[in-house]
Amino acid sequence: MAMEDEARVQGNKARALIEKATNSTAPEVDPRLLKAIKSVVRYSDSELRVAAQTLMDFMKRDHSQVRYLSLLIIDELFMRSKLFRSLVVENLDQLLSLSIGFRRNLPLPAPPAVATNLRSKAIEFLEKWNVSFGVYYRQIRLGYDYLKNTLRLQFPNIQANSARIQQERRERERRSKEILLNKYEYLKENLSSIKGEIELTVGEIGECLDILRSKDELISDDILDEEEREEFRSFELKQLRHDALKEGEKVHENNDNKVVFDALRELYKLLVTRHLVSIQEWISVLIRIETVDTTFRDSTLKELIDIQNDLKSVKKKCEEAGCSLTNKPKHDEEEDFWEEGNAVSIETTTSSAPNNNNGNLDVASASHKVNDPTHGSSCKKSIGSAHEDKEVQSNSPRSKLLAEAPVVKWGTYLDDWGSNRVFMANQRGLELENHWGRVDIDAVIPSDKIAELNVQATIYEEKKIEIQPCRAPLRNGALCQRRDLKICPFHGPIVPRDDDGKPLNQTPSEDNMNIDLGTDDLVRQLAKQAVKNIREEDNRLARQRQIDKQELKRAKLAKIREHNEAVLRDAALASTSRSATLGEDTEGTDAEKRSSRDKEQNLSSMLRKKVTSKDRIAQKLLNSRVTDATIRQHVSSQEAKYKEAFPNQW
Amino acid sequence: MWKQIRDREAAKIRPDSFANRIKSNRIAQLQLSNYKDIATPHKGAINSLQIDLTEGRYLLSAASDASVAVYDVQRATDYDAGGLISRHKCIFVVDKQHELGHKYSISSAIWYPVDTGLFVTGSYDHHINVWDTNTTQVVMNFKMPGKVYRTAMSSLATSHMLIAAGTEDVQVRLCDIASGAFAHTLSGHRDGVMTAEWSTSSEWVLITGGCDGAIRFWDIRRAGCFLVLDQSRTQLGTRPPILKRSMMTKETKSRAAQRKLANGSGSKHSPIGRVPAKGHAKQRLHPGLLSSQDRATAHYGAVTGLKITEDSMYLLSAGSDSRLRLWDIESGCDTLVNFETLRLQSSKPIQLATTPDSAFVFVPCMRSVKVFDMWSGNTRTTFRGHYECVNSCWFSVDDQELYTGGNDRQILVWSPARLITDELNEGPAEDQDNWSN
Repeated sequence: MAMEDEARVQGNKARALIEKATNSTAPEVDPRLLKAIKSVVRYSDSELRVAAQTLMDFMKRDHSQVRYLSLLIIDELFMRSKLFRSLVVENLDQLLSLSIGFRRNLPLPAPPAVATNLRSKAIEFLEKWNVSFGVYYRQIRLGYDYLKNTLRLQFPNIQANSARIQQERRERERRSKEILLNKYEYLKENLSSIKGEIELTVGEIGECLDILRSKDELISDDILDEEEREEFRSFELKQLRHDALKEGEKVHENNDNKVVFDALRELYKLLVTRHLVSIQEWISVLIRIETVDTTFRDSTLKELIDIQNDLKSVKKKCEEAGCSLTNKPKHDEEEDFWEEGNAVSIETTTSSAPNNNNGNLDVASASHKVNDPTHGSSCKKSIGSAHEDKEVQSNSPRSKLLAEAPVVKWGTYLDDWGSNRVFMANQRGLELENHWGRVDIDAVIPSDKIAELNVQATIYEEKKIEIQPCRAPLRNGALCQRRDLKICPFHGPIVPRDDDGKPLNQTPSEDNMNIDLGTDDLVRQLAKQAVKNIREEDNRLARQRQIDKQELKRAKLAKIREHNEAVLRDAALASTSRSATLGEDTEGTDAEKRSSRDKEQNLSSMLRKKVTSKDRIAQKLLNSRVTDATIRQHVSSQEAKYKEAFPNQW
Repeated sequence: MWKQIRDREAAKIRPDSFANRIKSNRIAQLQLSNYKDIATPHKGAINSLQIDLTEGRYLLSAASDASVAVYDVQRATDYDAGGLISRHKCIFVVDKQHELGHKYSISSAIWYPVDTGLFVTGSYDHHINVWDTNTTQVVMNFKMPGKVYRTAMSSLATSHMLIAAGTEDVQVRLCDIASGAFAHTLSGHRDGVMTAEWSTSSEWVLITGGCDGAIRFWDIRRAGCFLVLDQSRTQLGTRPPILKRSMMTKETKSRAAQRKLANGSGSKHSPIGRVPAKGHAKQRLHPGLLSSQDRATAHYGAVTGLKITEDSMYLLSAGSDSRLRLWDIESGCDTLVNFETLRLQSSKPIQLATTPDSAFVFVPCMRSVKVFDMWSGNTRTTFRGHYECVNSCWFSVDDQELYTGGNDRQILVWSPARLITDELNEGPAEDQDNWSN
């Protein structure tokens, strides 16, 4: 008796756990509960029996969600315990009919979405069980066979699929190996010809370089002679001289050696684009290949690596000789070059207009000038190096200044940018004397007047701001994508929200403050922008005036801001059903409501039918009052028709 | 078990009782066999199963897709899962493709009781075919007036080769294989005959159960039936109490005397409430045919299954009223054994099976097979395995195995648990617990 009692008590534990685990709307069993069930059931056979019985009971519940969760637990235990398997297998047909619903008189219960899930899961599990335990249990084989061959249910066929994928992969590997082997064979046959080709190219390059160098020597000798007469004592100077000599050694292209250079360039290109690449490829083939004959492979590999090193050294020599690969199409190069030139010219125009009160620019131009020799050295300067140049400069003060500098519209006034030149007023090529009497030819327009005349008016352009979506959580789990400026008609004021759609600031009052701050911020930003622009424009205006103006503007903007806010508030009032003042606390209550709704969502709520728009329409259209009215209308219209048709019958 | 062997060794128990003990032990352990698969070629419900009576080796199955198949249940054709599962494929199958094959569902297939050279099939296409097993050719063909529900041959017969055929027709026909003609027509049923069973004690006695709910006993040497079972005549217990019994014996004695006079008739079983005006007409009838007037019923609705025990003393009948009745043949009374609640298939004849010692009866109850204790009616076990209704059971006496066939096209084997799982190391890894950490 005591034992039995104990068993019952223990059984209650498993039962309670299972009950708890299945009473949930989640698509998964709570892993903690599952673990608890497993550990309870593992050490006690009586618990296991109770658990099996309980699970079968739950499978009979008239709710797909309960059945679904029970099935998940059954699967977990089934995969683990032998005793559980033997218990479940006894009633496998019942379990299958309850989870798959293949008997016509026992369809799966509501809700239908979970029911389909349950069915597919059950089929999947049955297949898994059949694969793992079908050998030991005839019942599983029978059930599987019945569902597959008699009812012709579609099984996911996991095993066959994975086998097929494996097969495909093996096939692919085999094919690639075959290709590799073919390549290897080809290499075996043609190794000498490949080597010959490469050697030929290398030899030609060597010849070209020799020619160039021989020409070189004549010139450099001269230089050396000249320079040897002078004396350099300090080491630094010697070093400098050495560098210079080296630099001087470089042969520059001219009309004499143009042909040689062309040939060299051609060969270089061949070397880089073809031979180096092919050698690389062969090496990789040799590395990957698996053959019995390793001697040939090793020796060839060695040879190839040697050749590769050789080629690399040749390539380096070529580059030293001033030959770099420009394998881009010609017009592209031109375009790039033109752009480059343009940029430089702009820079020069801007920088060659030193301004009195714009010292920074001067510095920039100076730095630019420092770089100039390298920058615009020759037309053959490759694009790549130019880019490099730019990158090098990217953190120089000049570039920083460039980033800050205002963008000014292009105009003729740029010609006299920053110059303090005075203009002769009457020397414009017009002969004015005879028409209007005496003319003072020496009359000048002072520079400040000119500056005043050159003041450029710019139209203030507002920055385009992307309107943020509302991002309030919807019922289907997505976020509201409505883009309203201030207030979403469905979700109230737009506040920054995280990925779950929860507002980042919790309390509604803060929230409201934040909105105000936000607008404040925005306006201030606008103001700043405007002010900045204007300041740049009015660079030459007196400080005092500027400040005055700014203050005036600020005041004006403040006024505008106030006005805007008022307008927005009105708009908000108009666009939302709630008033803005109510809206302050709606956020909190809304969230509360939602959470309460979440809490309320339980097994019974899953069964509740959703009210669709169709239902609502039906409710409107099919109530008795409306139908009565319709019938009345119909009858009266028929009567009218009748009277019309037979006017003299009454 | 070991004690029994020791007792047998010491000759404390007799060899037959030792064998019987072992057998009953094995029968008590029946469960779904995991190591014996019968791969059916049938595409329809399996209506009938029989293992040949001579060797106990060849299983004959008939299915509703007009196919018949024979399997060797002792030697497997191939093995699955490393020798753990033996698969028995059919030796041959006869189906619609055969030029003389049946057109419609075959309702019953039986072996010729003497050897396995012949078998008989009865089909819904109104024909009974006799087949040569070795050539799978039809050697004889009987055209019946309606759908054939059941064919039966006597396993005792030495002087006749008659196939009793229960059909849609009210008459039971006896087809003679020797002559190829109908030897008798037994009339008495008022509706089609669902089941027919030969007595296990006399080669002349045939028992039939009809859709009219009547179970009739026929002596084929005489006209008419000599006994009609009546569900209202009951006796408590398997044997009538001694007092009553003496009365009964007297009665039967007198009855026998009467029978001698009246050339055998069942008229004395006629209920009291018979219309007296009919008495006159009764006199005109041939005395043997008087029993056709007896409208006593054994079941409400059709009698769907009959099974006579080995000792031919009791008869089990199943009806579409979902009742199972055990009849004392000698007294013709219902023994009032209450077989626990069950639900039986009513649209098709079902095939019951008993163990040779008449301890258990196997009854197809919809999707399961129930094992009842014959004398108390208690459910011993329920065999679940079929996914649709079970139609037939056959108990193999030699192997103590039960074969069941159902609408889900499966033939399942229920066998005692293996005593020694031989060659374990050869098979796949044993089924084990698999707890993570």
